Amino acid sequence: MLLSILTLTPGVVGLLVLLLVPRDAVRLQRWAGLGASLAAFAVALLVWSRFDPANPGFQLVEVRPWLPQYGIFYRLGMDGISLVLVLLTTLLQPLVFISSWHAIKDKVKGYVVAMLLLETGMIGAFLATDLFLFYVFWELMLLPMYFIIGVWGGERRVYAAVKFVLFTLAGSLLMLVGIIYLSWLHHAQFGSWSFAYEDMTRLVIPMGQGFWHSPQLLLFAAFALAFAIKVPVWPLHTWLPDAHVEAPTGGSIILAGVLLKLGTFGLLRFNRTLFPEAWELATPLFVVLAVIAIIYGALVSWAQKDIKKLVAYSSVSHMGFIILGLFAGGVAATQGALLQMVNHGLSTGALFMLVGVIYERRHTRLIEDFGGLAAVMPYYAGAFILTTLASIGVPGLNGFVGEFLILAGAFRTQRLAVVLAATGIILGAVYMLSLVQRVFWNPLTNPANEKLPDLTWYEVLAFAPLAILMVWIGVHPSTFLSISEAAVTRLIGG
Amino acid sequence: MPVNDLAAILPELLLVIVGALLALADSFAPALRPRFGLLGAVTAIAAGLLRWLVPLPGRVWSGALLVDPMARFLDTYVLVAVLLCALMADPYLARTKARLGEFYALLLWAAVGAMVMMKSDHLLVIFVGLELLSVCLYALNAFHTTSVVSLEAGWKYLVVGAFSAAVLLFGVALLYGATGTLALGQAAGALAALPGSPLLLAGLALLFAGLAFKLALVPFHAWAPDVYQGSPTPVTAFLSVVPKGAALVVLARTVAALLPPPATVRWTLLLAAVAVLSMTLGNLVAIAQRDLKRMLAYSGIAHMGYALVGIAAFGQDGVAAVLVYVAAYTLMNIAAFAVVSAFSEGEEEPHLVTDLAGQGWVRPGLSFALAVAMFSLAGIPPTVGFAAKFLVFRAAVLDGLVWLAVVGVINSLVSVFFYLRVVYYLYMRPLPKRQPQYTEPLAVRLVAGLCAVGIFVLGVLPGIVLETAELAARTLTR
Repeated sequence: MLLSILTLTPGVVGLLVLLLVPRDAVRLQRWAGLGASLAAFAVALLVWSRFDPANPGFQLVEVRPWLPQYGIFYRLGMDGISLVLVLLTTLLQPLVFISSWHAIKDKVKGYVVAMLLLETGMIGAFLATDLFLFYVFWELMLLPMYFIIGVWGGERRVYAAVKFVLFTLAGSLLMLVGIIYLSWLHHAQFGSWSFAYEDMTRLVIPMGQGFWHSPQLLLFAAFALAFAIKVPVWPLHTWLPDAHVEAPTGGSIILAGVLLKLGTFGLLRFNRTLFPEAWELATPLFVVLAVIAIIYGALVSWAQKDIKKLVAYSSVSHMGFIILGLFAGGVAATQGALLQMVNHGLSTGALFMLVGVIYERRHTRLIEDFGGLAAVMPYYAGAFILTTLASIGVPGLNGFVGEFLILAGAFRTQRLAVVLAATGIILGAVYMLSLVQRVFWNPLTNPANEKLPDLTWYEVLAFAPLAILMVWIGVHPSTFLSISEAAVTRLIGG
Repeated sequence: MPVNDLAAILPELLLVIVGALLALADSFAPALRPRFGLLGAVTAIAAGLLRWLVPLPGRVWSGALLVDPMARFLDTYVLVAVLLCALMADPYLARTKARLGEFYALLLWAAVGAMVMMKSDHLLVIFVGLELLSVCLYALNAFHTTSVVSLEAGWKYLVVGAFSAAVLLFGVALLYGATGTLALGQAAGALAALPGSPLLLAGLALLFAGLAFKLALVPFHAWAPDVYQGSPTPVTAFLSVVPKGAALVVLARTVAALLPPPATVRWTLLLAAVAVLSMTLGNLVAIAQRDLKRMLAYSGIAHMGYALVGIAAFGQDGVAAVLVYVAAYTLMNIAAFAVVSAFSEGEEEPHLVTDLAGQGWVRPGLSFALAVAMFSLAGIPPTVGFAAKFLVFRAAVLDGLVWLAVVGVINSLVSVFFYLRVVYYLYMRPLPKRQPQYTEPLAVRLVAGLCAVGIFVLGVLPGIVLETAELAARTLTR
């Protein structure tokens, strides 16, 4: 019951706001959004306290018949992997509401409703242990994000929103066929209909001869395409800069913080477990793509003139690390990839939040419009620099732990890739530090920047939890690594 | 057993009688005209209740009609469509100054035609039902007598309808020549004796062609956009769901009786090919449409392609999926047409998608219903459109037609583009300077609201309709 409450609270409150709250009651709408997301966070913490880290299987399992004659059940369950990501999701959502408290002035009701429905979709996708249910939650995220980008976004918002929807659907629809095929396979092998994830792990999926005659390779491709678009893996990333840049700040935080993680989560949860032989075969391909993404993303970031675009492209690079960690195999690299998902959610979420702060004040995001902000907005500069250091992996902050685990774990199997990826870390430092240099340290030449107000109390409130976690994970990562250790060990071992 | 026979067709009798009374009342009690829509709706509800109350005797009228769980499912679906169309018709007729009893009489009689057609496995009864349905629709299409496009629509539907009826009848005649019987059940036995008879093949092909005209499947689709665009919008709503469901059911019956599984590979391929053509052409051409009714016409062509995937897959899963599809299609299409009928200033005007600009924030209720209908047509969960598509594609995969399912989902992706364009105009475009004067009649709001709620409820709990559909499908596939 606890997991259902966790999943459905935001969505139900969202629907209530949609149906019952009048359009003009803006304060009530904002408080409803914040309240519901805080409630979900509280439930997530409660779930954490009930969680047994030694148990690698699904906990707090809920099963209810949905279309039982077809083997479709409402199945929720949580293991260490999903708990980590659910905690990240439920933490970020209230911060999104706080940071967009004043930024979103128009059509507040629609924004709150879309955000809350989106949160239900995200939590549900992490917790669903029935493939049909997973698909429903996966698609449930699509429309709210379409509205968030398309209604509250920047100038090219409609282009970005449609591109986001078409890219995402292009991947996920083939996954739907794959899911149906898996259930047919289950019927063929066990004589009963099922969509349950744990039943699927017992399937023997034939490898066959050649790609087009290999059920396992085709299924792997159908699932991997859906997830690779979401991550996004180079060269499927082209929707990302558009969507991230055009989305309003809150949308960017959720996109970078959580939605991208659903791609890597899906690869780990479904592709790795269900199609192990195909995973082995595809490893070289994905390692190469990951290295390309790391270096390409970093180089393109370096060339950006717009701060938000720079942060957006840096996501391509960071997600490349996570892919490398997942495909390198081994517990350490996988744990590192999982931790890096959280880290990227925290640091890139924080960066988008901070970009939003400056955009609210100056209505420009061009790097050349700034300079010398460290003197004008010292707290803001401090927050930005802390996040930058976390993002480029300075020891003592969270990014270092994740990247170190990935590279150390991958070193045995993917030596060349690790060497190349390490250059990506250097490039990351180059473009981030040069951004800090140009925005905060260069002489203050533009008079428009002289009187910029520093962070307000609610902006600090939205940023503080992220900063605390960046340091916490950097200093004591085992708080979080221990949550997922048992689940990851079983996943890698078996 | 005449009592039993009469009891079995009580709903039809009720519709015929009330229809006649409405036509008479128009002359003798014109003061009642504003109540006719409500009367039609109540009659549909009453007929539906009757269908659920009277027992299901099975074969009645010397075997001409089959009143079984299948009949109950189909009647319910037709009557829901009649109810929704009758409700949304009244404001439309009031606006076009044509609040006449004949409209509802024709609507109820058309429903009787569809109900008879779907209940029979005797080819002549099917034909009679089809003609009753079509003749009523010819008149309804042209009901907006001052509009040239409406008259044109009626005329076009008449010509195409008469032609397709002739094709179908010719096919029936050839089948009779080949098998010596008009009852599909008995024809199956006769068929086993003559595999591959050219007479039979020609008969089946013509029968399929006649039904494909009704379904507007490629390459028999050309009439649909003009007729959809020209007909009065409530009629378009009815026309876009009821004859299509009826023709699908007849198709399923024919496939079940005449094409027993081992012999169907070629026919499966033919059906699959027509499905692929319809989906692809419908969706691609819909992208280019600027008129909402024309867009929905092409989307309808594509949707009948999806439904045909279920017939090609066949089996109990396939037929149940098709039945769910028909039910889903009814809700989402009627919701869309209901809103389109409200969001138009003049009936002569084209219903341009650009006219919707910014309405989402000004008229939130109806706009939301239209957006929900679009999401459902695009097959995005948690709507009933997704459930229906899932079931159809599932049936295809289980039948070994994985490639057909893949073609289907790729088509879904294409269709998202133009369905979302409607949403884009509703919510992401500024209001034009000259704000359009749309009215939101209560009846239309009611219809759109009912459909939107139905789309969500059946989308989250598809079991409600699926269980009845499976029960119905079992009667067909044994």
